[in-house]
Amino acid sequence: MSQVPSDWEVVIGLEVHVQLRTRAKVFASSPWGFGQEPNAQVDPVVLGLPGTLPVVNREAVEKAVLFGLVVGAEIPERCAWDRKNYFYPDNPKNYQLTQKDFPVVVGGRVEIELPGPSRNVMGEHKSVRIHHAHLEEDVGKLSHAGGGSLIDYNRAGVPLLEIVTEPDLRSAAEAEAFLRSLVAMLTQAGVADCDMEKGQLRCDCNVSVRRRGDAQLGTRTETKNLNSISSVRDTVIYEAARQIRELGAGRSIAQETRGWNAELARGYVLRDKEDAHDYRYFPDPDIPALKISRETVARLAKQVPENLYDRQRRYVEKLGLPYTAASVLVADRVLAEWFEAAVAAHPANPSGVANLVANDLLRDLTAAVPPIPLSACPIRPASLAGLVKLTDEGVISKQQAKEVFTEMFNTGQEAAAIVDAKGLRQNSDTGELEKIIREVVADPSVAKSIAEYRAGNEKAINALKGPIMKRTQGKANPGLVDQLLRRILG
Amino acid sequence: MAEGFDIDHLAKLARLSLTAEEKALYASQLGQILGHFQTLAQADLPATADGARVVDESVLRSDEPGPILGAEVVTRIAPASRDGQIAVPRVVDDES
Repeated sequence: MSQVPSDWEVVIGLEVHVQLRTRAKVFASSPWGFGQEPNAQVDPVVLGLPGTLPVVNREAVEKAVLFGLVVGAEIPERCAWDRKNYFYPDNPKNYQLTQKDFPVVVGGRVEIELPGPSRNVMGEHKSVRIHHAHLEEDVGKLSHAGGGSLIDYNRAGVPLLEIVTEPDLRSAAEAEAFLRSLVAMLTQAGVADCDMEKGQLRCDCNVSVRRRGDAQLGTRTETKNLNSISSVRDTVIYEAARQIRELGAGRSIAQETRGWNAELARGYVLRDKEDAHDYRYFPDPDIPALKISRETVARLAKQVPENLYDRQRRYVEKLGLPYTAASVLVADRVLAEWFEAAVAAHPANPSGVANLVANDLLRDLTAAVPPIPLSACPIRPASLAGLVKLTDEGVISKQQAKEVFTEMFNTGQEAAAIVDAKGLRQNSDTGELEKIIREVVADPSVAKSIAEYRAGNEKAINALKGPIMKRTQGKANPGLVDQLLRRILG
Repeated sequence: MAEGFDIDHLAKLARLSLTAEEKALYASQLGQILGHFQTLAQADLPATADGARVVDESVLRSDEPGPILGAEVVTRIAPASRDGQIAVPRVVDDES
């Protein structure tokens, strides 16, 4: 990764286009989805045929409002749609229905987490301001072949929420962290699926550079249509380096629209950026302005899930989880809720539960062929809690718990049933155990270790535990062995 | 250039190639039209709420997928088509 010289600052703003999770299109009732035959998901409204009128999809509006509530934005009483006029065949009407002056969402903030110095250490947190988000229609897909271009209008009219940030991001890492956080919020709230392989999230990336300490922003370029988080990161790195090189050589930066070639990892100039008035925006006469009732806003507010990082803080501060486990769990709302259901069944040891969920359970779910979704997990949250409880009570050792876990995963049986069937219950009979320990301690071969322990070498006691566990065939409770051994050795 | 607009720029946006005479004629006509709107804009009207153009959520459509035309119809009503897609003269937005 090329480093930005310390006397320069990179300023980034993003426009993120997200396809909302609806069944029908935003102004038409045509269905939409990925991977259909070209032009199979088109109706007369999508094509803008004479005599058709657009009608706004309630679900699209509510998903947009829900996003606003997730990021703590204002939901204005009124939103309205405008025509953005341009001549390009990706849109059959020669205009795109969008929101210019009265967007559905105004303001808001997205908390981001930067990578820490290591995986176990949490990185810096930052808050990124959202300028607004507006609800518009997606456009068709063009492919260029030979002397002509071919158009598939399946994507035309798909509900698209354009989320516009303030220029608050300062590095490629911050842009990447922002997109990860945004995707988590959108998917966890059920606003969008954000499947980038299917083009459900695309990004325009505004980049400028300035000398550190300058109050004025530099001239920015806009790189359009980036369809992966890595493309955004690479574009920022490339564009910042290019602009610093140009300015360093005494040249100026042209305000231009650019494209990104991911294969060659380089940017290129697209058409000159048209002035905003060239689009001749005007209020769409077919769609009246919409009043969004406060009752609707209040109802949707109840659907807002706990913020990802609020949840992470709660896990670390209230439940005492290590950061590594907490960060894994909160990244997936379903997983976090599964974990919480298990903790509810055994509240005494959240870390023990987290450890099994974030490590063993996730590992086995993903390693299965084909991978098993959490919804089809063979172990129920309460059953996993039962396993942790048996370990905590000293009925089985941690080592045995791993074995029981594997058996639970394979058979779906309860932990206690497996422990009994396999005769794994640890020996907690003090009298019998004490007898064994006294015999082991009396053996001359361990005299040296005993002397070392008594001389203050704490670790020397471990040399005695091996023979004791061997004599009990591993069934002795390690905690009890330790306790008795220390008492006997005085 | 007439006041408030640039006839060459407008012609370019509208993909029109105009002769000098046409430019003069349209610039004059467009100037008159804009002048008329300026007169309207100066009229002393009571401030009316634009509430007449605001509707509530009852007019929204439910998220129920409806009928489609089908690719066969879509391509048939298009001026030209190929491989189930609508064909147009080549428009390029690629890396050049």
